[in-house]
Amino acid sequence: MNIVTCFKLVPEEQDIVVNSDRTLNLEKANTKISLYDLNAVEAGTELAAAIPGSKVNALSVGGKRLENTKARKDILSRGPDALYAVIDPSLESALPRETAAALAAAVTKIGGFDVILCGEGSGDLYAQQVGLLLGSLLSVPVVNDVSKLTAGEGTVTVERTLETEVEVLSVPLPAVICVTSDINTPKIPSMKTILAAGKKPVTSWSCADLGITPGAAPVVVQSVLAPEQADRKKVILEGDSDSNVAAFVESLRKTL
Amino acid sequence: MAKIWVFSDMASRYPELLAAAASLGSEINALIVGSDEAAAKALSQGAGSVTLLPADDSRMVEDYVPTIAKYVSEGGTPAVVLISATRRGKAVAAKLGVVLNAGVVNEVTSLKLGDGVVVTHAVLGGLARGTDKVTSPVAVLTMANGAFEPLPEDASKTGSVTKADFVEPPFRIKRIERRAKQASNVDLAKARRIVSVGRGLKAQADLAMVRELASALDAEVGCSRPIAEGENWLERERYVGITGVQVKADVYLALGISGQIQHMVGANGSKTIFAVNKDKNAPIFQSADYGLVGDIYKVVPAMTALLKK
Repeated sequence: MNIVTCFKLVPEEQDIVVNSDRTLNLEKANTKISLYDLNAVEAGTELAAAIPGSKVNALSVGGKRLENTKARKDILSRGPDALYAVIDPSLESALPRETAAALAAAVTKIGGFDVILCGEGSGDLYAQQVGLLLGSLLSVPVVNDVSKLTAGEGTVTVERTLETEVEVLSVPLPAVICVTSDINTPKIPSMKTILAAGKKPVTSWSCADLGITPGAAPVVVQSVLAPEQADRKKVILEGDSDSNVAAFVESLRKTL
Repeated sequence: MAKIWVFSDMASRYPELLAAAASLGSEINALIVGSDEAAAKALSQGAGSVTLLPADDSRMVEDYVPTIAKYVSEGGTPAVVLISATRRGKAVAAKLGVVLNAGVVNEVTSLKLGDGVVVTHAVLGGLARGTDKVTSPVAVLTMANGAFEPLPEDASKTGSVTKADFVEPPFRIKRIERRAKQASNVDLAKARRIVSVGRGLKAQADLAMVRELASALDAEVGCSRPIAEGENWLERERYVGITGVQVKADVYLALGISGQIQHMVGANGSKTIFAVNKDKNAPIFQSADYGLVGDIYKVVPAMTALLKK
């Protein structure tokens, strides 16, 4: 089976600095694989292990962060056989539609697929639509919120955990599957897989290599601002003495 | 004037979608998979007209995408399609986005129509709020649960009801089975009072004291992520936070919750926040109106006893 697992490199949230005008400074933020994508990579690796002769390609599109060799090694140490990276200034802070279009072009250039796996959303934008857009752009079936995945004959059987029910679906291949963070527990790479990762092939392309030119974006970002801090009273009582608890309950009572 | 369409895979979400629609314009059409009764209900809740999509149990909700796309395109532009931000709703939204060449934004918390549709939604794990402008002639938005207050119902309102023809999707995904999830009836997004518990709780059995306090306060029980997703002590529907529920309670009482930003994004919409935590440096005290530094195992039963008096 020919499997592609998509991932995104995102800034480490803990390193993000909020400026005094509520804008964010991401410059000093380290790069990491978006947490939800680790589940997609794990699901792809597990699927490949179940079907002999499978190949797993990791794929990402983005800006400079993708040049980070540590992050490249990190993804390859988690199971994929090869890495494809589309690096282009126009993808530096791409929104879902542009990201999905670049992924679609890259998948086509890689040379087809049986299953593409995506996470439930990225750690930064958490737009929760790239995988769905990708499937629709490629004109193949796409299912989101998949919490269980089993390979069949020309199909995959998936369980989809929705708000009030669980759906079990038989999805004809090729298809795009977006998995939830509940589907598995990503394995921590071993020393052996980390060492092997350095020897795996990495292919880098630009948007020009894929023949894509950015068109008119359907959505543009106007601002990204830290929320205004609500003015909280911050009346804090130190210590759980009976009188403090009584005073605390009294404040609570007055608010009800 | 923009044409406004609303669609939900859950009937309970129509009132708030119709309220959001009313804030944008007056030409509102509700797309509903269902009966004439459902259509009448939508009209009373603010829809100007209804397009009834033929119900068929063998279909998945996403199978209606080509049908919805057909009616939206025929309605002309500019158009805004508002969908509930449910799991299926997001799938429908993205698929419509591609078919209608429309910009899509999920989990929208506020929206304004002008030159394009300006929307806000949380980004970076809730650390920030993104403001986006959808510039495409059709905008497809999924609305965060509880972002809009439903309008009062008016049963005297009428409007046209059209029965839609079903447009076959290009491929059908086969549904093998459909089973009810252990139903959680809780809708924390709409609760007025919430008692929420976090890592400070040592064992699942200790939820009993939390429930007792909640009952004394006539409140719902909520939690932080580890309680719902790591420990599985409570249903996911009770998890307050960026990837969980964003609440708008009058009173939010946080017990043994440290107050990481990912949690506070879900809780900050509350009017008054109370917190009990044994660590006086816990960030929760920076976001609380009233705080008590103490052990929840001592404080919670004492509070319950006082409140029951």
